[in-house]
Amino acid sequence: MNSPEQVSAQEITILLVEDDPPTLWRLQDALVKAGFDVAAAATLGEARASLAARIPRVLLTDLQLPDGHGLELIRETRARHPNTEIMVISSLGDEETVVSAITVGATGYILKDAFPSDLAATVRDLVAGHSPISASIARFIVRRTQAQAVPPPGPELNTAKLTPREIDILWGIAKGFSYAEIATHLGMSNQTVPGHIKSIYRKLEVHTRGEAVFEAVQQGLIKL
Amino acid sequence: MTDGTAKPVASPAPAQRGRNVAVFLIQYVPLQIVIAALCIFVVSRPLPSPPDRYGVPSFSLSDDGATRTVTLPEFVSSQPSMNEPAVFTGTFTWSAREAAQTWSVYLPRFTNGVVVSINGIEIIDSRRDPSANRSDRATPEIAAIPTSLLRDGNNELVIRLFHWSPISGFLDRVFVGPDAELRPYFEKRTFVFITLPLVFSAWQGILAVILTVMWAMRRGDDAAYGALAAAMALGAIQAVLMTAIDPPAQPGLNAMLIASTPLESGFVVAFGILFFIRKWPRRLGPLIFLPGLIMLAIGLLGDPFLVRRAFLVLAIPTLIIHLLLLAGIVAWSEMRRRDVPSLLLGCGVTIVLTALLHDVIEVAGFIPDDRIFFTRLSYSAMLVAIGAGLTWRFAQALNRVDGFAAHLAIQLREAEAKLKASFAREQERERAAALARERTRLMRDLHDGLGGQLVSIVALSERNTAGRGNGEASKGIGEAARAALKDLRLVIDSMDDIGGDLMLALGSWRDRAAAQLRAHEIALDWRAAPPGLPVYPELRPSHVIQIVRILDEAVTNAVKHAGARHIGVTIETIKSGGSEHGCISVTDDGKGFAIDGERRAASRGLANMKNRAARCGAELELSSGEGGTTVRLQLPLRFPEGDAAAV
Repeated sequence: MNSPEQVSAQEITILLVEDDPPTLWRLQDALVKAGFDVAAAATLGEARASLAARIPRVLLTDLQLPDGHGLELIRETRARHPNTEIMVISSLGDEETVVSAITVGATGYILKDAFPSDLAATVRDLVAGHSPISASIARFIVRRTQAQAVPPPGPELNTAKLTPREIDILWGIAKGFSYAEIATHLGMSNQTVPGHIKSIYRKLEVHTRGEAVFEAVQQGLIKL
Repeated sequence: MTDGTAKPVASPAPAQRGRNVAVFLIQYVPLQIVIAALCIFVVSRPLPSPPDRYGVPSFSLSDDGATRTVTLPEFVSSQPSMNEPAVFTGTFTWSAREAAQTWSVYLPRFTNGVVVSINGIEIIDSRRDPSANRSDRATPEIAAIPTSLLRDGNNELVIRLFHWSPISGFLDRVFVGPDAELRPYFEKRTFVFITLPLVFSAWQGILAVILTVMWAMRRGDDAAYGALAAAMALGAIQAVLMTAIDPPAQPGLNAMLIASTPLESGFVVAFGILFFIRKWPRRLGPLIFLPGLIMLAIGLLGDPFLVRRAFLVLAIPTLIIHLLLLAGIVAWSEMRRRDVPSLLLGCGVTIVLTALLHDVIEVAGFIPDDRIFFTRLSYSAMLVAIGAGLTWRFAQALNRVDGFAAHLAIQLREAEAKLKASFAREQERERAAALARERTRLMRDLHDGLGGQLVSIVALSERNTAGRGNGEASKGIGEAARAALKDLRLVIDSMDDIGGDLMLALGSWRDRAAAQLRAHEIALDWRAAPPGLPVYPELRPSHVIQIVRILDEAVTNAVKHAGARHIGVTIETIKSGGSEHGCISVTDDGKGFAIDGERRAASRGLANMKNRAARCGAELELSSGEGGTTVRLQLPLRFPEGDAAAV
């Protein structure tokens, strides 16, 4: 990918949170070999400690952690460090885990068995501002935009903020069309599709009032 | 009176009105003229009469103190008193040889009362027959002459004719002869002039009851029925309640009954206004009943002679005016609406009017006077018309009710069908929801258990490969675990409800296939332009799994056996005739293989692919050569239900 703000791998700091040692080793190995500056954590506590010590550019976290849930980590990080890109590490890339992570602020996912080259490319693209979205996640989101009598199972997802154009883009991705094909079909510039995807991720984030209060307290705007 | 105050309920468009007027002029008016001509033809036909040989040729008439010889029929001038009859004296011959059969004296027509004596013995006194007293009914009289009265040779026949003003007395020809010969003529006349009017009176009574019930049940809605019921009741009562005139038992009642005619016709006109114009003229309307009320007052206060005079000068003209009014109303209605009741009543009114004019002209002496009046008889024609018109209305209302019921039934069926459809949809939704729930549960299980373990295996095998020796074995384990993960993802993915849009399944497959091929540094050339494939509503997860596995197999073959560098996937919709079906092609630039199976693994894979294609009703085409291999999967027009094709 050719991005104007191409950053060298060494400048990209990553916090990798994964409790399964072989998987942690595998991912860390792949990322280190690609030249990234990787910090690793196996528990939620370690991850918080690491975050306190250094704010990473990218947070990659598993959801099932021995001492807590990765969603908490994502939510906290998203609130305190808005510049940190977050991705969830998923073994199956299923919507259940990925979409719940997206709603708290993650931008896409990486598969635990992804090939090393793909892992590195995904992180680089993410830093360059290209939020990846898989066809199955796009499909899950667009299916949720369709009116359904019975609320479908799985994570809650509010798609009300998505514009018709964004939904069209998601349809295109879900059907396996390339960005170029989608852009041509929708009569827009090829370059604007990734921007739309980023915007989609932000719109799917849940901003409840409770969260707003939580954030305000955290940022010292409100004194209890 | 009809046009000034009454506003039509619904005004038809001017073009429609013009057409109605034209139809009225070329259909209705000529029809009424034909009916009038037919009436004139019928009433002018002579009534059957017994052979002349039984007629009594001449009488000596003593009237007003003078005596003269007359030939019947004969008129005698009106008398102020009923006690001074005109006396007709004649003779007829009877032979004792005829004693075997009864002889009768037959008087076809007379006004107003007769007393017949044979050889000085009275055998008929018509004055006690109430119906014979009515000059509007041509009541005949017949009486058998007791043989003991008759003398061989000449016999004396004396007829005393009672008549009262203002109508002059009339005696038609008198017949004396064998009863067997005369009676059929009497019966015929009785049938026409007595029985028929009685039948119609009974009918009038029935109509009165029916209309009263209708009016009572729909009070306020149908004043027309009330008016008609009143007219019918008056007519029926007048026909049934008749008293002898001499001596009048209840002179007041009698007079009132005579006065009822203009009242009755007034009610009929009121009915016409209410029924056809549908609006009652408040100021002019009551005028209809004025002549009838005057007649009633005269009947109550005046003597019988005054009543009769008033009848001639007031009731008859009123009757004519009422009939003309009714004819106008009905014609107006026919012109505007062209419905059956207007037409029927129009014809009825024409018949009555013609008969009445005939009777008036006859009494006035403009045409030969045989004292046969048809007004009363023709009135029954109008009754028939009214009855038929009302029945038509009633049937029409029933039809409307039926139509409404049928309409309701149709609506009910539609609603039922909708309900069924929505029930089916609901079931389908529930099925889909159950599948989605199951899939979510399975996914959670797999994610937490099998998925993580497989990932661990992949990681461990890679670590092994990177670290110590026996790398090949570890690599094999890793690849197997990776394939298991891929299959797991495929199964989970296929269970998702994609609403029949295969493109959604292929989109996910593209992601997986691209990742797989990147590891082998093979480019995936994906050629699919929106909108891609047609939507298959009947598409089931089992079909999706088969199709995706076929594609996986094709890609795997290209990677493992053909050594391809580029793999192209083309998705297109092929239109043939009116139908369209999807087609997915996988092309590689590998070295190809001979289809007759030099490689057993490949050929087993191919058989497997064909089998899978058959299960979804799809067709698999293979072509392989030096330049590469192409697998074409022709999707069906409709996917088969369940796994029917898997035999």
